[in-house]
Amino acid sequence: MIVSWNWLTEYLRLDMPVDALSERLALTGLNHESTEDVGGDLAIDLEVTSNRPDCLGHLGVAREIGVLFDRRVSFPNPRPPTSGDSVETLTGVTVEASDLCPRFTARVIKGAKVGPSPFWLRKRLETLGIRPISNVVDVTNYVMFECGQPLHAYDLSKLSESRLIVRKAVKGETLVAINNKTYELTPEMLVIADAARVVGLAGVMGGLDTEVGDATTDVLIEAARFDSMSIRRTSRALGLFSGASYRFERPLDPEATEWASRRCCELILKTAGGTLHPGMVDVGVARPARPPVTLRLGQIARVLGISVDRVDVLRILTALGLTHAGGSADAPSFVPPSWRSDLEREIDLIEEVARVHGYEHIPEDRAVPLTSAPRSTRERVEADVRYTLIGLGLDEAVTYSLVSEELAMPLALEDGGTPIRVDHSSRKRENNLRRSLVPSLLSVRQHNEAHGSADAELFEIANVYLPRVGKVLPDEPTRLALVSGRDFLGLKGIVEALLGRFHAEGDFEVRPVDVPMFKPGRSAELILAGKRFGFMGEVNPSVLKSLELRDPCSAAELAFEVLQERADLVPRYKPLPSYPVVARDLSLVVPQNLPWAELAGAVSRAAGKTLEAIVYLDTFKGGNLPEGWQSLHFGLRFRHPERTLTGDEVEAAVKVIVASCASQFDATLRT
Amino acid sequence: MSLPDLAVEALASLDALEADGLSAFTGSGSPAEVEAARVEFLGMKQGRVKTAQERLKALEPSAKRAYGQRFNAVKGSLESAHDAAKARLDRPTLAIADGFDVTRPGTRPKLGHRHPLTQTTDELIDLFGRFGFTVARGPEVEDVHHNFDALNIPPVHPARDPLDNFYLSEGTMLRSQTSTVQIRVMESQPPPIRVIAIGRVYRPDTVDATHSFMFHQIEGLMVDKGVTMADLKTVLRLFARSYLGEDVKIRFRPSFFPFTEPSVEVDMLWHGGDRWVEMGGAGMVDPNVFRAVGYDPDEVTGFAFGLGIERLCMRRHGIDDIRLLYQNEGRFLGQF
Repeated sequence: MIVSWNWLTEYLRLDMPVDALSERLALTGLNHESTEDVGGDLAIDLEVTSNRPDCLGHLGVAREIGVLFDRRVSFPNPRPPTSGDSVETLTGVTVEASDLCPRFTARVIKGAKVGPSPFWLRKRLETLGIRPISNVVDVTNYVMFECGQPLHAYDLSKLSESRLIVRKAVKGETLVAINNKTYELTPEMLVIADAARVVGLAGVMGGLDTEVGDATTDVLIEAARFDSMSIRRTSRALGLFSGASYRFERPLDPEATEWASRRCCELILKTAGGTLHPGMVDVGVARPARPPVTLRLGQIARVLGISVDRVDVLRILTALGLTHAGGSADAPSFVPPSWRSDLEREIDLIEEVARVHGYEHIPEDRAVPLTSAPRSTRERVEADVRYTLIGLGLDEAVTYSLVSEELAMPLALEDGGTPIRVDHSSRKRENNLRRSLVPSLLSVRQHNEAHGSADAELFEIANVYLPRVGKVLPDEPTRLALVSGRDFLGLKGIVEALLGRFHAEGDFEVRPVDVPMFKPGRSAELILAGKRFGFMGEVNPSVLKSLELRDPCSAAELAFEVLQERADLVPRYKPLPSYPVVARDLSLVVPQNLPWAELAGAVSRAAGKTLEAIVYLDTFKGGNLPEGWQSLHFGLRFRHPERTLTGDEVEAAVKVIVASCASQFDATLRT
Repeated sequence: MSLPDLAVEALASLDALEADGLSAFTGSGSPAEVEAARVEFLGMKQGRVKTAQERLKALEPSAKRAYGQRFNAVKGSLESAHDAAKARLDRPTLAIADGFDVTRPGTRPKLGHRHPLTQTTDELIDLFGRFGFTVARGPEVEDVHHNFDALNIPPVHPARDPLDNFYLSEGTMLRSQTSTVQIRVMESQPPPIRVIAIGRVYRPDTVDATHSFMFHQIEGLMVDKGVTMADLKTVLRLFARSYLGEDVKIRFRPSFFPFTEPSVEVDMLWHGGDRWVEMGGAGMVDPNVFRAVGYDPDEVTGFAFGLGIERLCMRRHGIDDIRLLYQNEGRFLGQF
């Protein structure tokens, strides 16, 4: 809301510097955006929050300044002279949609002379950035910017049967508005019609046909109230926003309707002449009296932390227009003024007292009691995951939860079906809530390749969104995803190192599985502590191609909650061994289809309790080995907790191992 | 040559001496050249400065004072020039011993980077943790009840407009604010409460340098018997000082949010700055919000505040385009 300094001085004395005024307004609720000099006047732009429509006019702002600077505000009391036939003989109003139009008033001026506005009026509007049009139209705008109540002037001679009907639009009706654009109306829109057609979008914009023009002499002045939701819907549906619709979207002062009509007629007579006919067509329902609100004075300190003297409380509230209406000494009651529909409860009055008294009086050095606030397991695991992965050379990414169709592919097959979609005109493409983070990270990797940062190694911790049958809200598990230019084992090493950080690698299993995202044979399901931990693999060349990725890469997606549950953040100390270790290396020739994990398991079971560790070294194929056979080379570490092992004991254990592998896998010692 | 002429000539010779000396010192390219220049100008026995000093004796008493002052200045200036030249060239020799060049770069392991948004978030969690706030979480796909109804946002409120929200099916939506977590926390436990909620929120803004349809918020909530606006101001002041520096001030400006009353905008002022910068919104929990979660507003009071993580992060690191945060370019991430 832009207010003119000169205009305000019509209602009260302004003897403070403009900066002092705007700062005080900013600190009491009308945030100051800017002040501009417009041809000798000052245009002060104030941000008016949606609960304060009373400040969408100069009178409201003047009233506020009056309270803040203790100035008397003089309100105009328009008493336009009337003559001729009563208004009821000249026009009529029918309100069919009374639920959307609680009050509709009309006055009639005949014989006005439409022409340019006088200088003072043009000047006022120009300070606000409003283009002057003609005296009658300018006056309707002027009064709106004066008291916040929008008005509309019709050329009475162009209204069919000289009457107005407030009703909902009929399907197929259209209106050419005063902006020369044609609007197609729908049945939920509230319109103003005459006997023949729609002549205006109620509270939004008038129609071109019936607007006041140079030839107009007889004018009908509309001042009405409309349902704010209805106005907002119409305005949004048509993409048509006006000063009127902006105000009608908010709860306006119901008492301002009649005043504005009178004021408007007074100024039209003054600037365009003519005769105002006696009376006002007034269709509407009476408003019930507002109940008083009781303010228990003790509540002020309970909420604000400071007490405000009773005298000051009464002074502030009555200055704001509330009427002190009894109650007790400790709990006075107040009836709020018509222009403050936001004041309904005790807490509303406390806020008024607080903002006018000044928030600067509230202290900022209270002793807030101590309380324990330990970091949760989730936070600790998250932090450790991040520090571990950046230590391993990966950068952390943060990507959008909404992805395009191409990136909406799930990783796990059972997450198939359709993703949740948002339906919004601004998100036609990226409208899928993702079920996997990997595609987003691949897309980031591609973006990096295209911008000269080859081999982006990335991770992200974020939620995915999985619809659940029979539940309103989806499941939102947190995932940890990784992408890297490393091969399968390179990326698996990162996962293993991460598990090592949480002392969880002992429960880690990897099973070959086909996932469409990954290359067949380079794709695995990961299990941690018996639970599905995720998937990893080398990215399928067809996926690389569709995402325009140049270099091969691998990816993994892990269930964060599974890791969190298994993470051991407080490891227990194990006594350091007092006896030496005995190490032996073995190379066993086994069939090529025998997985290392299976051989290692068999070795461990056969070796007995003294086997402390088994370490994979390498795999050899070809050479003098027969077709279909491989040699697996690994190290064994034996130790007894209570004594030194003898060479014979170790040899015996190795023999058992070799014999057991021979019988299970036809394994032979490589020579 | 008259006596005054002699005095003038003597002063001119000092100027020449200074000019020659300065160019000799600044022009020398090796310690040996510096030493040669030192001997020539500052040498104890036959240096030109020494010679010039001796000339003093030959001057008339009336000229001695001017000459003496100028002489001292020239001597000081040449001594400083000598020290500077020495310091400039006095570095150890870059010799390669045993064929090993210690100046080559080290074999450096690659180190990744935490995302700047995470760095900001972690700092906030850490700071508010010290004030006794624990982290609470809630779903990003929310029902309309938690996003609006329970937050005292009535069905007619413009904040519910379909154009301004990402609605999904069955009365669900992507949460437009982390205040939803307040409600979930209060629904699930009795007071006292002291939590912060951090996470992604969604609003259909057109993406540009300062807007994103997805961003992050931090929301704080403290509820107990006797919690007042003074406690709110204290906590936010402590936060501002811890996060931004001891010389930061805060102020409250009235504002309007349906779920708090009184509601304020929180401005901060850095020392030396002349502009208050808006940091976020705050207020006392509205009694209707307490009623919606089954708390008695005559029993407890509470405050809530909310800050945009992107804004804090961008301001802290001087980032001028919010989109950079979501593009995740290595050239960007590598800077943090």
